[in-house]
Amino acid sequence: MSNMISIEDFSDPKAATPGVSKTTMLLMLLVAIGIGCGLYAFVIGHHHAYNNTREMPWGILIAGYAFFAIVSTGLCVLATVSHFMGGNPMSSLANRMVFLSIVTIIGGFSIIGVEIENPHRMLLYNMLSPNFTSNIWWMGTLYGMAVGFMFVEFFSILTARYKLAIGLGILGALAEIMANTNLGAVFATLSARPFWYGAQLPIYFLASAVLSGAAAIIMFTHFAYRIRGENMNSAVSEGIRSAGKVATLTLILIIVATSWRFISFFVGGTELGRVAAESFLSGPMAVNFWVFEITVGLIVPLALLLASKMKNPGLMTVAAIMILIGQFFQRYDLVVAGQMVPQYSGWDNLPTYFSYIPSFAEFMVTFGGFGIAGAGFLLGERFFGRVFMQSGHH
Amino acid sequence: MKISDFEKLKNEGTEKLPSEERRRFLRFGLAVTGVFLGGSVLSLTSARNASGVQEKKSAAGKFPYKPHYTMVLRQNRCIDCERCMEACVRTNHVPSYGYRTTIMEQNRAAGDDRDPLFMPVLCNHCNRPPCVRVCPTTATYKDKETGIVMMDYKRCIGCKTCMAACPYNARYFNEETRAVDKCNFCFDTRLSKGKKLTACAEACPADVRIFGELTDENSEAYQLIHKPDRKVWVLRPETGAMPNVFYIND
Amino acid sequence: MKIGNTKARKFFNLLLFSLVLLVFCSQASGQDEEDGGSIIFTKPVKAVIFEHSIHTEQGLECDSCHDGMFEMEAGVAEQNDDFTMASLYEGNYCGGCHDGDTAFASNTRCTACHIGVKGYERLTGGTKDSGGGH
Repeated sequence: MSNMISIEDFSDPKAATPGVSKTTMLLMLLVAIGIGCGLYAFVIGHHHAYNNTREMPWGILIAGYAFFAIVSTGLCVLATVSHFMGGNPMSSLANRMVFLSIVTIIGGFSIIGVEIENPHRMLLYNMLSPNFTSNIWWMGTLYGMAVGFMFVEFFSILTARYKLAIGLGILGALAEIMANTNLGAVFATLSARPFWYGAQLPIYFLASAVLSGAAAIIMFTHFAYRIRGENMNSAVSEGIRSAGKVATLTLILIIVATSWRFISFFVGGTELGRVAAESFLSGPMAVNFWVFEITVGLIVPLALLLASKMKNPGLMTVAAIMILIGQFFQRYDLVVAGQMVPQYSGWDNLPTYFSYIPSFAEFMVTFGGFGIAGAGFLLGERFFGRVFMQSGHH
Repeated sequence: MKISDFEKLKNEGTEKLPSEERRRFLRFGLAVTGVFLGGSVLSLTSARNASGVQEKKSAAGKFPYKPHYTMVLRQNRCIDCERCMEACVRTNHVPSYGYRTTIMEQNRAAGDDRDPLFMPVLCNHCNRPPCVRVCPTTATYKDKETGIVMMDYKRCIGCKTCMAACPYNARYFNEETRAVDKCNFCFDTRLSKGKKLTACAEACPADVRIFGELTDENSEAYQLIHKPDRKVWVLRPETGAMPNVFYIND
Repeated sequence: MKIGNTKARKFFNLLLFSLVLLVFCSQASGQDEEDGGSIIFTKPVKAVIFEHSIHTEQGLECDSCHDGMFEMEAGVAEQNDDFTMASLYEGNYCGGCHDGDTAFASNTRCTACHIGVKGYERLTGGTKDSGGGH
């Protein structure tokens, strides 16, 4: 660090228009409200602020956390792949991806920070009494490490230490992949929840990460140029095309995975898993599933991407936004449906499905996560814009 | 005799078996498959590939913990008087919004409310407890001596993964301690003070809850589940948690 | 089978007789609650239901039971210290008939009469959560 670095070397006045400032402020307000709701829940007790129950301990906050963690993994992995494979067209997007990966995981951490009841105890006992068989422990530790690697990686990019950046990027991506697969395993290894249990979920989560990451970088890059009123240069357009191809491929993978996943529930297995799966096809989750997961999240964006021939960033951005909406619903539906069938079904006149509707505070915390992602993006364009706008650092 | 040893034996034909060995075999087969598969017929047909209720148990009478606590529930005797629940609340200061043990009700047939079934449920103190595996801070752990699944409240971060992982809905979040709470067979409130029974077992007027030791062949609990022609079952055996709470009828 | 036949015949006669009596009675009184309705005992355990109608339908008369076995006034029996299962097994109270001979034995079909706290709350309109909680 011999020569002092100044933020002015990286900041981009073109991304500091009054409109951008106003939007940033609004998003920050969303963040403040979200954090306020989370702190309120922490103080008065989650039971009074959130709608989770003994039977359904997890809800939209876990889903929101998983959503952002998965987006972060996707961005980090795609960034590293592009950095690492220098000639890759997406390398022109890589610096922005590293930054956004950090931003989205911070969004995820903020949500999980107020989702768990005692974050203060976590800081202590994660270190004092770790449980190495716990996927939650590995997930938290690895995502924490990944953020650390990426922070230093980003600093290395700013200070033009590219070799170091690539090395740290690889470490960060490995940590992100392992964290992501542990996130999948948090659900996939719970034999008490047949809708989650099974070997497919971790791979499904990883495919979702790549899909989410590709969609996120298409969307954010598009907006980055929109707010500046500029057109993408050919290198960036190439990067977007590549991201579009990656998204197309992973969309197909997830459609295949989803199809077999659901078929498997109806050809055997336990009643609990089958009833949960039925909630998607014709039960309380049907609108979420058919409209948001399948139509909005998979089929229409696939059609739009193919129709765009990867040449129309506007159309691709519409597809990307739809993919991200679908991804959020996939996380939410998975989390909820895994718990909504009573374990003592048939006893006590228990309903076929428990009902769960997120509370106001839960919604606000979730929106706060989106606020962090949005505000983080705009602040990043404003203060590090020049680093993002240079087409790759090779 | 271990299962593996059993399989190595040369088949001499059952007619040559001494009657004592025959009884042993029967008892063994039932203790293992009868319990696990939930039917005495199954237990008599195949003991070969049986995986035990207690996998670490090599033969009847050997269990991984000492004392290896268990609760046997004589389900059809339960009349839902809920004295067990009251005793539990009193003994363990369980708040009104939660429970460590409860009683479920079921009609024998749809629309027929005559002779309902009642089923007490509580923590099954599994041999392979999913809650213990998933806890990031070892706030919940299996006691090395007794096998009781216990809580160290101050370590609980409230991630509630244990609640999601439990096949038996045995856990709730206690607002006062800001930690997940659960049945610990009254270890802190009674067993460690020299009492022999849990509060619920002591309170039950119908002898539904038989608390005892699987390590003690003379204990009633041991004898109840080792009776040759008795059907013994556990809840949700498919989860592989290997519970230590057994259900029988009378 | 022989025993069963005599038993059945005896029961049939009783049924026939009481049916005639019931028709006679109901015509005479014409009141629904004449038979005392449902009695819910909450001591010594919560809760046991006794339905007069089920028993009169079987052909029992008032003084089949209200003749030393139970007082006419509801709730008297449960004040007694010996209103217990052990006492029933000795042939007292319900055990007078529920001995496995006249009617199913007191130590079988527990939940035919024991409706539990859940059943009690249901009948008395209490609001006991079922299973739920947090």
